[in-house]
Amino acid sequence: MVHALREARRVLKPGGVAIDLRPAMVHRRVKVMRAGLAQPIGALRERFDDDRAANRAVARVLGQRLFKLEGRQRLPLDRCMDGLDDFQAWLDDFISRGNKLRPHDWLVARVARALGPAPRRRGSVVVSGPLDLRVLRKTDD
Amino acid sequence: MDPQQNEVRALRAAANWRGVRVLEIGCGDGRLTLRLARLGAIVEAIDPDADSIRLARRALRRALPPERARHVRCRVGEGEHLDFPDESFDRVLFSWSLC
Repeated sequence: MVHALREARRVLKPGGVAIDLRPAMVHRRVKVMRAGLAQPIGALRERFDDDRAANRAVARVLGQRLFKLEGRQRLPLDRCMDGLDDFQAWLDDFISRGNKLRPHDWLVARVARALGPAPRRRGSVVVSGPLDLRVLRKTDD
Repeated sequence: MDPQQNEVRALRAAANWRGVRVLEIGCGDGRLTLRLARLGAIVEAIDPDADSIRLARRALRRALPPERARHVRCRVGEGEHLDFPDESFDRVLFSWSLC
């Protein structure tokens, strides 16, 4: 990660900006929206090892004065899915991207119950979790 | 995704994107690439996954008018080994990729 930040610095023009946009280290919450009502379902139990490593990498390049932290903000983000199949596909993809999740069958089962019996399932699934955005300005050599 | 458009609003507030050269690292299926293009950026987007790059190219072809699409290129690549010359970009965006 430090190497990626160094590479970013190399390709940036003088005074250029690197932006680090990624999910905050907060467990994402899942709810079902049905007939205009929101039903909380539960939270994902992610591990944040890679996020901590990324934070350390950012801290290191800031400490080396390769970049200057110019700003940061946390913003809410919702991902809306059409139903159980979409949610299952998203979860499978999320896990496959190295998020090291334990099986979340319990969460899928709860979502399925909240959406109602097949084949008349209705409603959407919303996964909510904030994003962190950091603005890193390339310093002069 | 992001029905409130918070991600785009935050990107817009963080920097000026119109007419600037942007390297997007970890573009995935091109979701943010498309938004950057619509903000007027000239985008080089990379991702290590060839299937994602195929999806991104297809999505961008469909969603952008030709005069905007020619300002966007997607290719396979990794953030740790950038195949670009020194000082060639105004912005580098790590799209959910620095972790």
